[in-house]
This record gives sequence, C-alpha cells and structure tokens, in this order.
Amino acid sequence: MRELISGAMAMAYAVAGLYFLRFWRDSRDRLFLIFAVAFGMLAAQRVLLTALAGEQDAHIYPYVVRLLAFLLIVAAILDKNRPRAPSG
Amino acid sequence: MATVVYALCALTSIACAVLLLRGYASSGVRLLLWAGLCFVGLALNNVLLFVDMRVVPEVDLSAWRSLPALAGLLLLVYGLVWETR
Repeated sequence: MRELISGAMAMAYAVAGLYFLRFWRDSRDRLFLIFAVAFGMLAAQRVLLTALAGEQDAHIYPYVVRLLAFLLIVAAILDKNRPRAPSG
Repeated sequence: MATVVYALCALTSIACAVLLLRGYASSGVRLLLWAGLCFVGLALNNVLLFVDMRVVPEVDLSAWRSLPALAGLLLLVYGLVWETR
C-alpha cells in the first residue's frame, strides 16, 4: 500500500511538472520553468525515498532534495511578485 | 542535521502554501488556488514528517503522513487538467 501511494505521488509530481513545462513553453514565464524543475525534483525525491527505504544512513538525502525544491518554489514566487522598475 | 532539514521542509512548504493562497486571494487566478491547496497538503505531510521523526519516533506515521500529500497532489492535477487550456 505504501509503495502504491508513493508511486501515485511520484506520478502526480511528474504530471504537474510536465504541465508547468508546457506553460513555460507557451508563455516563456520563468516562474513556470522553475516550478517544472521543482516538481521534477519532487518526483525524483519520491522515487528515491522508496528506493532507499531500507537504508537508514541515506535517509536524509531525499529530504534535502525536497527542501531545495520548496526553496526554488518560494524563490520563484517571490521573484514573480517583485515590484518591477517602470519602463520609459 | 536531520531535525533541521525536517523542520525547514515543514516551514518552506507552509510558506509556499501561504504565498500561493495569498496570490489567489489577490488575483483570483484559479491555478494559484489549486497549487495553494496542494501545498496545504504537502505542508501537512511535512509537519507530520517532523512529528513522526522527532516528536513521536516510536510511532510509525508514514502511511498517515502520505495521505494529505496525495490529496493535495490530486487537487493540483485536477486543477491543471480541468481548469487550464
């Protein structure tokens, strides 16, 4: 059951990442590219967590990847909401 | 080190949820709502991770903490599929 949920989550992360990648392709807004990369990282860390389930020493590394993905998303949102200098 | 990582995962996922839901509140863009709700689920998952690993390590909450994350992700995928063109 645990592996089923983990696999579903990994697939959902990957699908969301692909959607964000499509949004970036259509709009060239870097927020979507960063989101795509972050969700790709989250999919990878979910797979890593399942693959390393029996290895206690390596347990922290997927969570470091997760943290980096969340930090990327926070940075992307803050970057998007940054006040822009008026042009002209 | 692990405690710091678990705590920061919880805090950053909460920050993501807050920023996205605030963005939805100010702009009304529904994708922000679905993404915000996703991160509410992920934030719950990460708070439960911290509780599971550091507060009550003798109890295995791994199955329970995955459920809010999965629910959040399903909401995001629904929003992406149904609300976007």
